[in-house]
Amino acid sequence: MSLRAYVITRILMTIPMILILLTLVFLVMRVLPGNPVIAIVGMKASPQYIKKLEHQLGLDKPLWQQYLDYLGNLLRGDLGRSMIWGKRPVIQEIMDHFPATLELTIGGFLVSVLLGLATGMLAGIRSGGKVDASMRIYSIVVYSLFIPLLGMMLQLVFGVWFHMLPVGGRIDPGLEPPTITGLYVLDSIISLKMDSLINSLAHLALPSFTLGLVLSGIYTRLVRSSLMEVLGQDFIRACKARGLPGRAILFKHALKNALIPILTMMGLQFALLLAGAVLTETTFSWPGMGTFLVERITYRDFTTIQGSIVFYALFVALVSLVVDLVYAYVDPRIRY
Amino acid sequence: MSGKDWGIAIVLLIVGLLIGYFAVGPGKTITTTVTQTSVKTVTVTQTAGAPPPKTTTTETTPPKKYADTIVIGVTDKVSDLDPANAYDFYTWEVFNNIGEGPFKYKPGTTELIKGIIEDYEVQEGGKVYILKLRKDLKFADGTPCTAKDLKWSIDRVARIEGDPAWFVLDFVNKTEVVDDYTLKIVLNQPVAFYPAVLAVPTYFPIPPDKYPADEISSDNTAGSVGPYKITKWVRDQVLILEANPYYYGEKPKTPKVIVKFYKDATTLRLALESGEIDIAWRTLNPTDIKDLMKKPDIQVIEGKGSFIRYIVFNTKIKPFDNKKVRQALAAALDRKAIAERVFLGTVDPLYSLVPMGMWSHIDAFKDKYGEANIELAKKLLKEAGYSESNKLKVELWYTPSHYGDTEADVAALIKEAWEKTGMVEVTVKSAEWSTYLELTRKGQLPVTLYGWYPDYIDPDNYLFPFLHTGSNRWLGEPYSNPELDKILEKAQVSLDHKEREQLYKQAQQILAEDAPIVPIFQGKLYVAAKKNVHGIVLDPIMLLRYYLIYKEAGS
Repeated sequence: MSLRAYVITRILMTIPMILILLTLVFLVMRVLPGNPVIAIVGMKASPQYIKKLEHQLGLDKPLWQQYLDYLGNLLRGDLGRSMIWGKRPVIQEIMDHFPATLELTIGGFLVSVLLGLATGMLAGIRSGGKVDASMRIYSIVVYSLFIPLLGMMLQLVFGVWFHMLPVGGRIDPGLEPPTITGLYVLDSIISLKMDSLINSLAHLALPSFTLGLVLSGIYTRLVRSSLMEVLGQDFIRACKARGLPGRAILFKHALKNALIPILTMMGLQFALLLAGAVLTETTFSWPGMGTFLVERITYRDFTTIQGSIVFYALFVALVSLVVDLVYAYVDPRIRY
Repeated sequence: MSGKDWGIAIVLLIVGLLIGYFAVGPGKTITTTVTQTSVKTVTVTQTAGAPPPKTTTTETTPPKKYADTIVIGVTDKVSDLDPANAYDFYTWEVFNNIGEGPFKYKPGTTELIKGIIEDYEVQEGGKVYILKLRKDLKFADGTPCTAKDLKWSIDRVARIEGDPAWFVLDFVNKTEVVDDYTLKIVLNQPVAFYPAVLAVPTYFPIPPDKYPADEISSDNTAGSVGPYKITKWVRDQVLILEANPYYYGEKPKTPKVIVKFYKDATTLRLALESGEIDIAWRTLNPTDIKDLMKKPDIQVIEGKGSFIRYIVFNTKIKPFDNKKVRQALAAALDRKAIAERVFLGTVDPLYSLVPMGMWSHIDAFKDKYGEANIELAKKLLKEAGYSESNKLKVELWYTPSHYGDTEADVAALIKEAWEKTGMVEVTVKSAEWSTYLELTRKGQLPVTLYGWYPDYIDPDNYLFPFLHTGSNRWLGEPYSNPELDKILEKAQVSLDHKEREQLYKQAQQILAEDAPIVPIFQGKLYVAAKKNVHGIVLDPIMLLRYYLIYKEAGS
């Protein structure tokens, strides 16, 4: 199969995936008691008024018709409008919140990979020793840290005691760079605004570190075991026999071969991070998708929830596709 | 190999140092850049807007006396920046800072004073209100605001039929423009507390050219005629208000107010301690309030709140249709334990639906049942046919996040108090907000916990919606008492204050006797601020007036 055919097949495969997901979400949200109208109107609203609002939102139609209507709009690329608070277009809500999450995800991801690789490699090359033992303990300890607690401790130390880093938000009001990608760090670099860059990085530091530290434990373990396995193989012995320096063996030969399972994990983690950074977002008042989605689920904002699910599904499919392509780059034996 | 270990260690160290560097850097830049931008914005308004009045905001403030900017942190949410649909406390607070109605409350009191009107007249025994608007009223963009605009704004509320539309629809028959500065409002019938209704943001004038006539405009920043105007609004993140140069009254003490929205109460507290915000407003956790009181550089200001929490019995569900059962549970309730143990004294036990400090309030439940009166509860339960071997089974529902994290503890203490009788077995159940609301509305939950924020400051608002037949819609309209209905209706139209007071006292006694709703506590308000912040006024209206707040400059 050619690369192009592979990519096309992969993309086509996301369509049934999205459809299944969407159907599930659609049904679950409607089986649960409560709807956006009840959740949002004041206590005194009369039943007639509630009926009127439900009619406006099309919630009084039979379920199958609501479902077909939604799918019809989706085919035309229309995610609809939110059902509460301003009834803004869903795509606009996503575009307002997703870049924040993506930025945090990338930040947390980088920290976790850096820390994970460093600690895992330390443990892997020194397997069995004191360093190995302490790195293994590190991985368990950080992995079991509770994000809000860790976050608050960091806020206390760096925010309250040392006044070094802000405790919440993405950037100080007034410093927002012009919107190009929505990622403040990237936008500040593109538009050459140093103030914004430093400020957004400062805001990003604590949440990324919190998220990254907790997740680095997985990589520590994975890198360690993968590296140990590779280091025990014959070709490493052959390298050593050829008198190659240790550094070259480690980085050029061992690590590259140990990277495949780690890459898989990275892909999975990245996707998971996109949806799962809710606790970090809450602790640092990060205006991202996680807290947004939780809020909208509480208020039963059907269209926004469905729209976000579709968006996520597409994005995760994209990420896993990229990971698959990177495999081929890292390991020339893999060809599509 | 050890060389590589060191190499990695050094890399880690560099990463750490980099983080540290970025950390130290911005602390300084933040302050300087913020002032720069504020200056910039002022210049922009000068050049772009209509010819500004004589003085700009920066010039009116005495030089270097007060700081230019104050940052307020909240965990609240703005729903719709549109008076036709805004019906929640925080959004009303924003409107009270950017707008003003015919009446307003004198800060620090519950006394109504004239707002955007010069004068008014009440005619036909309270049925007709003639409002004479100030002649110097202007919207935030400088266009004059006339009686036509006020009529348009009020009619628009009625037309859109949004959430708070009942403030207009339930009372107003028609509005008429008499001349440019005179508006005539004809009511369906006299309403004793109508001036208080005229103070809610639903009656604020908004610019007709900026708001759509028949649609809710949720993120509208056009503002109104108040002390501030909105210069920046990013939903759930930040709201920036700057002094409205066209405001008729006294200029705000602080020309620029930044409101930051936090998602977590503890983060809000830490933000105050770290200096990111000057004021931490709604809503701090009780433990954090207690903690902050001990900090030397922070002041905690306490004020009377007028929000109340209460237990609702669905009087249509057995066995709560039995008055004796409800009375027994009302008697056994230990409000002090809840106030002390869950809220650490940040709330006060409440013995009536009418809050303490409001005229006509009586401790109806305390007079009738005492506090945590287990003996009386036992006696009443026995009369209702229950005993130690035949226990009363109660299903108590609460909602875990809408009223804060403390809610589960409140439910647990209610259970504890009721079970002390030895004749009650309580099952505590919870449902998240939208489910909770729907099930209650459908009349499926026997015992629930709810809370109430007043719409206007009058006993009517604490009794009529709860007890009048058909009014307690959110509770599934279970309770009805024709005698009480008559009293409440009479009190609503009577213009004799003494008579109204008497009627409301009577209503509270009937409430305690029937006990369909049992009050638990009344909240207090807390604002934590840095020591150099002054002018915070808390009163039962519960709105923070940003325009009164100022900060010593240079700190």
